[in-house]
Amino acid sequence: MTLVMVVDDDQDLAEMLGIVLTGAGIDVDLVSRGDEVMEVFRSNPPDLVLLDVMLPGLDGVEVCKLIRAESMVPIVMLSAKGDTQDIVAGLEAGADDYMVKPFKHPSELVARIRTRLRRTNAHLKDSLTIGDLAIDVTAHEVRRGTQVIALTRLEFDLLVALAKEPGRVFTRDALLSEVWGYRHSTDTRLVNVHVQRLRSKVEHDPEHPSIVMTVRGVGYKAGVEGTL
Amino acid sequence: MSSQRLPLVQSLAAKVILSTVLLSLGVVWLTGSALYSQLSEGIKTVNLDSSLAEARSVFYNARYQFLLVQGASEPQIQVQVTDVLTSPTTLGTAEGAREIILLKIFSKGEIAKNGQQPNYSFASNGLLATTIPEQLRLDIAKQNDLAYQFSPLTYRTGKTIDALYVGQRVSIPGSGRYEMYLVFTLVNQGATLEIVQNSLLLTGLVLLLLIGLITWLVVRQVVKPLREAARVASLFTEGDFSQRLRIESKDEIATLGSAFNEMATSIEAQIRRLENLSKVQQRFVSDVSHELRTPLTTLRMASDVIYSNRADFDPAIARSAELLIAQIDRFEKLLQELLEVSRFDAEVAVLEVTDFELIALVRRCAADLGVALDSTDSQITVAAPDTPVHIRADFRRVERIMRNLISNALDHADGKSIEIECVETGTEVAVSVRDHGPGMEESSLTRVFDRFWREDPSRARTRGGTGLGLSIALEDARLHGGELDAWGSPGDGANFVLTLPRIAGNEISGRPLPVNPHKRSEVKNESM
Repeated sequence: MTLVMVVDDDQDLAEMLGIVLTGAGIDVDLVSRGDEVMEVFRSNPPDLVLLDVMLPGLDGVEVCKLIRAESMVPIVMLSAKGDTQDIVAGLEAGADDYMVKPFKHPSELVARIRTRLRRTNAHLKDSLTIGDLAIDVTAHEVRRGTQVIALTRLEFDLLVALAKEPGRVFTRDALLSEVWGYRHSTDTRLVNVHVQRLRSKVEHDPEHPSIVMTVRGVGYKAGVEGTL
Repeated sequence: MSSQRLPLVQSLAAKVILSTVLLSLGVVWLTGSALYSQLSEGIKTVNLDSSLAEARSVFYNARYQFLLVQGASEPQIQVQVTDVLTSPTTLGTAEGAREIILLKIFSKGEIAKNGQQPNYSFASNGLLATTIPEQLRLDIAKQNDLAYQFSPLTYRTGKTIDALYVGQRVSIPGSGRYEMYLVFTLVNQGATLEIVQNSLLLTGLVLLLLIGLITWLVVRQVVKPLREAARVASLFTEGDFSQRLRIESKDEIATLGSAFNEMATSIEAQIRRLENLSKVQQRFVSDVSHELRTPLTTLRMASDVIYSNRADFDPAIARSAELLIAQIDRFEKLLQELLEVSRFDAEVAVLEVTDFELIALVRRCAADLGVALDSTDSQITVAAPDTPVHIRADFRRVERIMRNLISNALDHADGKSIEIECVETGTEVAVSVRDHGPGMEESSLTRVFDRFWREDPSRARTRGGTGLGLSIALEDARLHGGELDAWGSPGDGANFVLTLPRIAGNEISGRPLPVNPHKRSEVKNESM
C-alpha cells in the first residue's frame, strides 16, 4: 500500500483528507504539528508528503526544506493563501507541486497524488541521454560520467520528459500536462521554478544552460550531446 | 528641483537685491544732488564776496581816475581810460580769467546835441554787449551802487562759461555815462565742482555696490533656509517622510522650520496610522482567507464524498447533495471574488506578467464556457487573426476577464448568438464580446461595472453570477493599463470591448475596436 503523510493542523480537514485518500486506496499518516514531522518521517518513511504551509511548531516551508535535506520523496504543498510568494517559497524549498485550498474537486487531489507517485513510464527505453548526461530510467539514476546526480522524483521526471523526445520543444503547458498531470492549468511558475532547480543540479553553468535549453517565447528543449 | 538654478525673476534674492539697489539709487541720487547743489552754492558765495570786494575797488579806482582827468584833453583821457581798463585785466587776456566791459550809454537826443563826443566803449577779448544779462543792465540803471548777477558768458568763438557779472555806472569826462562791467569767469569753481561731482558719482556707485553686496549677504541668510525648506518639502512630497529641517537659530526662520517639522511629524504619524490601518486590513483579509478556506475545503471534500454516493440515497437527499455542492461552488467563487475586490481596494493587487498567446486563450475560454452551457443554444463564434497574437500580461487576470465577459454575455444572450472578435495593432490588442440579448439602457452603461449591480433586480440569476465579475474585470483591465468599455442598446444586445496594451503597463493610445458594434462595421468597411 502507498503511504501518504498528511501534515495539517486542522483536525477536521486532516480527517476528511484521510477519508478521501483511504477511499482511494492510499494509507494515511496524520501529523498536526510542523515540529513533529521529521520524527514521524524517519520512523515511518512515506511515499509522498502532503504538507500545509501554515503549521504550528514549524512553518511548512521550513519542514519542506528539512525533508528535502534528507529525502527525494515527492512533496505536495497545501496553501490556503494562493499568494504567489507562499507558493514560490514552497516550490523553492523543494516542493514538487502545490494545491490551493479549497481544491476544485477532491478527485483532483487524488489524481495529483497518483501522478506524483507514478513510476516513470515502463515502456520507455532503459537508458536515455541528454547533453552529456546518461539517464538510467529503470534504476532512476542520472550520471555524468561516473558521478551520480541526485534528483527528486519530479526533477527526474522533468529531465526524462525532455530527454525522451530530444528534438521537441516543450511549451510550459505541455510540461505541466506531462510531468505534473495538469490538464488546463497554466501556472508557469511551477515549471520555471523546477527548471531552475533542475538546472542548478545538472548544468555545468546554470547561467548558460546546455542540458535544459530555453527556447525564447516558447518553452524548453533538451540540449544536444556534443554542444558543450 | 532644489538644485536647479532658479530664473532671475523667480529668485527671491534677485528680487530683493534688485529693488534694494533701485531704491538706494534713488536715495543716493537725491542726497547726491542736494549735496552737490549746496556745495556749488557755497563755493559761489565764497567767491562772490571776494569778487564783489575786488569789483568795488576796481570801480572806485575807475571813478577816482576819471575824476583826476576832469577837463583834460581827449588823448589824455584816452590814455587814462586805457590805463583803468587794463589794470583789472592784467591777470591775463586769455579766455577764462576775468573780463571787463565798458559800454557807453546813449541818452535820448545825445547824438543830435553833441555827436562829436568821443566813445571809449571797450570789451576785453572782443566780447559783445549782448552777453550782458538784460536784468543786470536794468538793475544798475536804477541804482548808484554796484549790482551783480550770475549768468553764462558767451565768447565770440561760441564758447560759454559760467560767470559772475558785476556792474556799475561810471562817468568819463568829456564823453558821458558808461556802464562798466567786471566779469569773473567761474572756470576754477567749475573745475572744483566737477571734481566734487565726480567724487559724488563715484561714492554713489561704490555705495550702491556695497548696498547690493550687503543686501545679498542679508538675503542669503533668509533665502538659504527657505531654499532648504523647499528642498525638504519637495523630498517630502516625493514620499520621504523622514526628512526634517535643521534648526540652528531662534529667529522667525527657526519658527518656520519648527512649524514645518511639526507638520511633517504630524503628517508622518497620520500616514503611519493609515498604513497601519491598511496593513491591519490586509492582514484581516489574509486571515479571513485562510480561516474560511480550510473549513471550506473540508466542506467541499465531505460534500463530494456524499455527492459521489448519491445513487444510494433517496431522491430528495440526492438532490440536496447536488444543491449542496452547487452552493459550495458558488460560495467559494463569491469568497474568491470578495477577496480579489478587497485586494484591489487595498491596492495590493499585483500583475504577474508573462508572455502568452491571446487568441488561444480566448478560444479556450469560449470553448470551456460554451461546453458548460449545454442547456441553452448559445452559439459562440470567435473571429481572430490567423497569426498568433503574443502579448505580455497577467495570464490569470486576462483569462478571468475573458471568462467574466463571456459568462456575462451567456447570462444575457437569451440563447442568441455571441460573437467574439480579436484585433491587434502595433501597440494594443482588443477583444470584443457581443451578445444579441435584451441589451441595456443608456443609463445602465455607467453602472454596469458597479459591484453587485443588476439592471433588473427582478431578473432571475440563471447562472449564479456573483455580481462582482464585471467590476473585477474592469479592475483587472485597468491594472494592465488597459480599459474595458461597455455598449448596449435596448433590444439590440450589448457589447463589451477589452483593450489592453501589448505590453502590460504601457499606455493604450486608442481603441482598435470601437465599443459601438455598428460603428465598428462602418470602420471595417471603410478600411476594406
